[in-house]
Amino acid sequence: MTETLASPASTDQLPQRRVLANGIVVLVKPNPTADIIAARLFMRGGSGWETADDAGLTNLLAALLTRGTENFSSLDIAEQVESVGAGLGTDAATDYMLLSLKTVSADFAALLKLAGEILRSPSFPQSELELERKMILQNIRSQREQPMAIAFESLRQLMYGDHPYALPGLGTEESVAKLDQVQLRAYHQRHFRPDNLVISIAGRIDIDDAIAHIEEVFGDWVAPPEPLAQLTLPAVSTQPSRTQQEQPTHQAILMLGYLGATVSESGYAPMKVINAYLGNGMSSRLFVELREKQGLAYEVSTFYPTRLEVAPFGAYMGTSPENAAKALKGLHHEVKRLCDAPLSDEEVEATRKKMLGQYLLGKQTNAQIAQVYGWYETLGLGLDFDDAFQAQLEQVSAADIQETAAKYLQQPFVSLVGPQNVLTELEAIELG
Amino acid sequence: MLNGPELPEAIRLSNGLTVIHKALPTPVITVDVWLPAGAIVEPEGCDGVAHFLEHLIFKGTERLAPGDFDQLVEAGGGLTNAGTSYDYVHYYLCAAVEQLPQLLDGLAELLLRASIPDHEFERERQVVLEEIRQYEDEPDTVAAAALWAAVYGEHPYGRPILGSVESLEAQSSESMRQFHRSYYRPEQMTLVIAGGIERDRALELAEQCFGDAASGSATAVMGDRLVATVTRPTQPAPPLVSTDLGGISRHALALPNVEQPRLMLAWPGPGIDQAEVAVGLEVLAVILCGGRLARLVQDLREQRRWVQDIDCDYNLLREGGLFTLTAWLDEEYLERAEDCIRQHLRDLANSPISSRELERAQCLLNNDFAFSLETSEQWADLLGYHHTVATLPLALAYPQQVLQWNAEGLQALAQQYLSPEHYTAMVLRPEETDLQSSVD
Repeated sequence: MTETLASPASTDQLPQRRVLANGIVVLVKPNPTADIIAARLFMRGGSGWETADDAGLTNLLAALLTRGTENFSSLDIAEQVESVGAGLGTDAATDYMLLSLKTVSADFAALLKLAGEILRSPSFPQSELELERKMILQNIRSQREQPMAIAFESLRQLMYGDHPYALPGLGTEESVAKLDQVQLRAYHQRHFRPDNLVISIAGRIDIDDAIAHIEEVFGDWVAPPEPLAQLTLPAVSTQPSRTQQEQPTHQAILMLGYLGATVSESGYAPMKVINAYLGNGMSSRLFVELREKQGLAYEVSTFYPTRLEVAPFGAYMGTSPENAAKALKGLHHEVKRLCDAPLSDEEVEATRKKMLGQYLLGKQTNAQIAQVYGWYETLGLGLDFDDAFQAQLEQVSAADIQETAAKYLQQPFVSLVGPQNVLTELEAIELG
Repeated sequence: MLNGPELPEAIRLSNGLTVIHKALPTPVITVDVWLPAGAIVEPEGCDGVAHFLEHLIFKGTERLAPGDFDQLVEAGGGLTNAGTSYDYVHYYLCAAVEQLPQLLDGLAELLLRASIPDHEFERERQVVLEEIRQYEDEPDTVAAAALWAAVYGEHPYGRPILGSVESLEAQSSESMRQFHRSYYRPEQMTLVIAGGIERDRALELAEQCFGDAASGSATAVMGDRLVATVTRPTQPAPPLVSTDLGGISRHALALPNVEQPRLMLAWPGPGIDQAEVAVGLEVLAVILCGGRLARLVQDLREQRRWVQDIDCDYNLLREGGLFTLTAWLDEEYLERAEDCIRQHLRDLANSPISSRELERAQCLLNNDFAFSLETSEQWADLLGYHHTVATLPLALAYPQQVLQWNAEGLQALAQQYLSPEHYTAMVLRPEETDLQSSVD
């Protein structure tokens, strides 16, 4: 038994980083534990570049990448992936597009080669475009079956106004209906270039083998002479307001939103602490106060994703119609409380430990490791972001938290979903 | 997969508690306690008590106030949760190795000596009622429950795991304590400790934390449930509209917040005593819907384009599982798509699948298995589930079982279980649609 403990995958060591001549950044975290390799290929761009007219373009492009290239049809690609039981998927995010790969070690080289063809030479066949369009439109409709998704969608539009973060990543029925090959090719031309690509790998492979495979597939890809396009986004200029959607639901969905700190602002670390304190786990403040002590909800939580631009902070819950007024006041009270009084040092310390422990738990699988470091690199945070962030966390005081709350969490945007009589009742509640 | 991982042994403590230890090269530890006290053991009229008790376990003991354990786990950087299914309930925590002694002690205290205070009982019932409301707003959950009710009828697998407002209102804190005393006994428990810890230390901690719990007769205070056999579809509960047309039991369900109709088909299958047959049905599920090359995906989604998506699964349960197939499609294609699916089932029964298809499906299932054993949590789940619901050796037998199937065997399996003439069909659609059109 002891030998299995003797060679732990060194989770505290950073991946190795190399930059190829054409600008591709390669990250490799060897982990010999299992005979598998996970890779994440990040292409900077993302739905943050979209407008109301072409909302959903990144998502459509991601979906179509695996549906045809210069040399392969949709079937050929599926054959190469599925015949070896590998996983190859694509996703669109706000700040990047992602190709994910998971294989047994022996198949890695072949799958990486396919990934190269997919990223470099997609053909966006018209017939496949129509099929994906149909599937995406269905996906957009199915979002409307979920009360939480409806509340979040409305909240985001309210909070971000004309800013692209207001747009749904899937696009809208209007925009997706019009997207075409010309737009897809232009997007590909603009963003898909080696100096915009980060390849992050974790698993049974070392850096030299990884570099050799990547050089073979991507080494002759030359970055175009024109500089990378830079994104300049409008400032978010909305003021807190309310939105409500009438739905014949069994629960009312209550969601409070706030415009939060970007990843580079000093409010970032305190706000992450606030998010964990209020909404993370069974010992979190909202869970204890609103669920454990008052029985008002099954699901009650917060969100605060890391964003290059102004990030949304939200607190939400689902509750029965007869408790909705009490719950809305309670939810708001818990957020407002942070503006008005400092947390105790014990509360801050317990929250900090909770966050640090969860970083460890969030980097266990090869896919998680490849994702986390690739994402740090893609967002320009640096591979040592974990350490830097932990150091920042150590510095966050109860006073910093109160100051950050007072700056960002004064007045909420409010999004409500539920039966009309509940919405009417909630209209009368002032959240000052 | 030739040199597969080694199977850990199941060790019995003197009070009957089973300990399974799995060493892994990670600084993380997962503790996962499994009990066969899922919804299947609930007495008549007590739907939902297994799940409700899972909530109440976290409400403390004489020594631990409600919330103390959660605070202990999370302030140490760990996480804890629990899950209830038909065949089992389990409680797990993940944390850094050094936290283990303290956390294991807390978990043992909760599981063995839950006090279920009256006022906590009342309040937690409100939480579970909120959980029920939340699921009532999810069309897929409501439709799946209706489908399972239609297939399993009076068998416990036909009842909702969460229970109903009525069945929960009928409980008292004392009835929950009785349920706890009846089923949460050391001889019923399997404690899995997986991660960066030596075997001797794991056993020592298990003995320290769980060893002093007295074993006792497992006679259920609430009365033993007779094991019912899985029956053919019986009367569903409203608001289902159903008609039985010979061998096809048809049901329709209309919900207000549905945007996209679904066609759901189901076939009862074998239980855990025929696990190898269940694996064969998983292979068939991959042949039909696993990936872009799979038969139904290729034909119905990629070629004909009648469905937006189509998926199937074999849900293995101890007393008899369910093969389910779900298609997302527009109303106009419902009939044609179902006919087409039935034709594919006839093909499966009439001619053997190609070696290429078979190899692809086997490779996919076995790679998925290999990919799902990376973390201590995944290991603990695999070992605890099998020891509780099946047998421990089955945990690692999966890849071999997948490879044992050949084309002829799978053809016979399709003939036996996936009849194109006998199944349960459920259509889920928006409420506005005229229900009559679907059942004429």
